[in-house]
Amino acid sequence: MATRAPVVQVEHICKDYKLGEETVHALKDISFNIDDGVFLAIAGPSGSGKSTMLNMIGCIDTPTSGKIVVDGTDVSGKTPDELADLRSRTISFVFQTFNLFPVLSAEENVEYPMLRRTDISKSERKERVSFFLNTVGLAKYAGHRPNQLSGGQRQRVAIARALATRPRIVLADEPTANLDYKTGESILSMMKAINRAFETTFVFSTHDQRVMGMADRLVRIEDGELTTLGVRAGNVWKYVKEKDVPIPTSDAEMQQLLKEDPELRRMIMEDPELRRALLDDQSVAGVAGKGGR
Amino acid sequence: MWKLALRNVSRQKLRTAMTVGAIAAGVVSLVLAGGFVADIFVQLREFTIHSQLGHMQVYKEGYYQYGTQAPAKYVIDDPEPVKAALLKNPQVNDVMARLNFSGLMSNGRSDLAIIGEGVEPNKEQKLGTYLSIIAGRHLTDDDQFGIVLGEGVAQSQKLSPGERVTLLMNNKDGSLNSLDFEVVGVFRSFSKEFDSRAVRIPLAAAQELLTSPGVNSLVVSLQRTADTEAVAAATRLQLSGKGYELKTWEELSDFYRSTVELYDVQFGVLRLIILGMVVLGVANSVNMSIFERYGEFGTMRALGDRNRTVFGLILAENVIVGSTGAAIGIVLGILLAVAISAVGIPMPPPPNSNTPYVAYIRLVPLDLLGAFVIGLMAAVTAASMPSWRVSRSHVADALRRNI
Ligand SMILES: Nc1ncnc2c1ncn2[C@@H]1O[C@H](COP(=O)(O)OP(=O)(O)OP(=O)(O)O)[C@@H](O)[C@H]1O
Ligand SMILES: [Mg+2]
Repeated sequence: MATRAPVVQVEHICKDYKLGEETVHALKDISFNIDDGVFLAIAGPSGSGKSTMLNMIGCIDTPTSGKIVVDGTDVSGKTPDELADLRSRTISFVFQTFNLFPVLSAEENVEYPMLRRTDISKSERKERVSFFLNTVGLAKYAGHRPNQLSGGQRQRVAIARALATRPRIVLADEPTANLDYKTGESILSMMKAINRAFETTFVFSTHDQRVMGMADRLVRIEDGELTTLGVRAGNVWKYVKEKDVPIPTSDAEMQQLLKEDPELRRMIMEDPELRRALLDDQSVAGVAGKGGR
Repeated sequence: MWKLALRNVSRQKLRTAMTVGAIAAGVVSLVLAGGFVADIFVQLREFTIHSQLGHMQVYKEGYYQYGTQAPAKYVIDDPEPVKAALLKNPQVNDVMARLNFSGLMSNGRSDLAIIGEGVEPNKEQKLGTYLSIIAGRHLTDDDQFGIVLGEGVAQSQKLSPGERVTLLMNNKDGSLNSLDFEVVGVFRSFSKEFDSRAVRIPLAAAQELLTSPGVNSLVVSLQRTADTEAVAAATRLQLSGKGYELKTWEELSDFYRSTVELYDVQFGVLRLIILGMVVLGVANSVNMSIFERYGEFGTMRALGDRNRTVFGLILAENVIVGSTGAAIGIVLGILLAVAISAVGIPMPPPPNSNTPYVAYIRLVPLDLLGAFVIGLMAAVTAASMPSWRVSRSHVADALRRNI
């Protein structure tokens, strides 16, 4: 899979936040690579440092120590303007809160990040706007303002906006957290399809089981430490640090797996986060009822 | 970018309207205050010119500095050629002569030391005078030996119009000369002290008393005040080397100069205060809208906008708000000024006068421009601090506010 050089290299990243007298170690010595074209999920409990990690990769936050190389460029010590230009060319964001410009129509929102790109001509711009609005299935809504769109439609516009600059990497911080189950799912499969079709690298942070189900790379962060690096091998996560865990595609299958594998059951009982990651809580209660909560 | 700025501005209609309103109010007050002050200047100027000074005066060299003590020493003996030369200038409206003297006045019972002026009565009337008549009437050219007295002179000598007095003075060669006059009126000026010593008689009578055909000053009135400097310069050139000196009304009127200076300082302070008030009034709403959109600016920068683009956008928005407010303020200010001027503002008598007058709002293009700039500056100043802070802030922190 990784025939090309990694899009992002994360090397020994630490991030501390000072809160008054206290220092919060949000990230502790994290290293991993993001290969070109992957669909990577950063998982972990709330407050574990997922968003912080994504911000580092997106060059909108700087690590306390360590090095990040994005698209062959070491970003440490770059000026804000240089970082802005780097973002403009190689990085796109999809936000949990969509973050569309409320005064711009859907197509203007998609066009916006291309406006400062002198290398994209006006006709090229217009072409891309309609192409990507079409890709996300919103051609009909081109003239609508964000407040005239549903949450799912807004996120689609945001995705079209993220893709329009043809970035090397799209960073999405919990892109489905503000959407209902079905909408989230369709957004995800759309992103997956785009990932396949354009070979755009996607990096998510998520609590969402389904996102992990679609990912082909998994990075688990707990309390600022990288605990698991997973590579999908068929239906199984090949874990670098831990026992392989099968990837359930449905709740029924998951429960089947749990019945068959006492070791996995024990792991899930012991690790609430893994439990949350792999199941919704009801099914755990159903399977492992008495031991549970 | 301007399109985006414009849309952002029209997003929060009520708030933008309030900001625009605050700026407009400030600009209106500047326009009105400025126009009022400008009118006072003009009225004071015309009043100064037409109360006694004329637009400029020509004297024998040295008179301006020393003449008040010894007017007789600084006499233009033959004023006619100078007068003729002055009148050749088409911008000159008229030239009249004055001759100063001092002496004694007797009502038959007692004497009083007086200072006096020989004037050309009708021309003086035409120029205008700061003397107001409280009994009788003004001198006219027909009063060959008429005299008007200051209020104090009339009181102390118990004189009223119709009675006769005798003026007594030393002429040029030191001998005593006297002439009889008939009191035609009593005047009051701005100064009690002056009124208790001053009298006015026709120029010819004064010349006869002093046995001199000369005059002390030639008072020149022009068609238009604005020409003063040009005519003065030309005349100075004409008269140079011939033993004359020339003073314009501005040089003669300390009062006008110091008043204008005072008002200018006061109005400058007023401008600053209004600017400060508008900035304070606007700062709050500008601050609030910038703060609310913190996350949006974070988004812009995450999408690759440079800091200065964000700064520029906020500034552009406030330039739009500021210039809209200022433009509305100017238009409103002009309308109000016209309306107020149609009615007029009754004013108490200015110093040196006892006649009340009516003030107007005078619209001076340069002042309007100044008011506009101040309105615009207020918005931009109010926005520059928070927008600078926004554009310097941490992108990730800004995005975190997008909840
Ligand atoms: N600006 C900040 N100042 C201080 N502490 C911060 C700041 N940002 C994050 N943190 C801390 O860093 C840690 C990691 O935060 P982060 O937002 O990355 O978590 P997360 O994994 O994204 O959580 P969630 O899943 O709830 O979004 C948390 O303990 C958080 O309190
Ligand atoms: Mg987060």
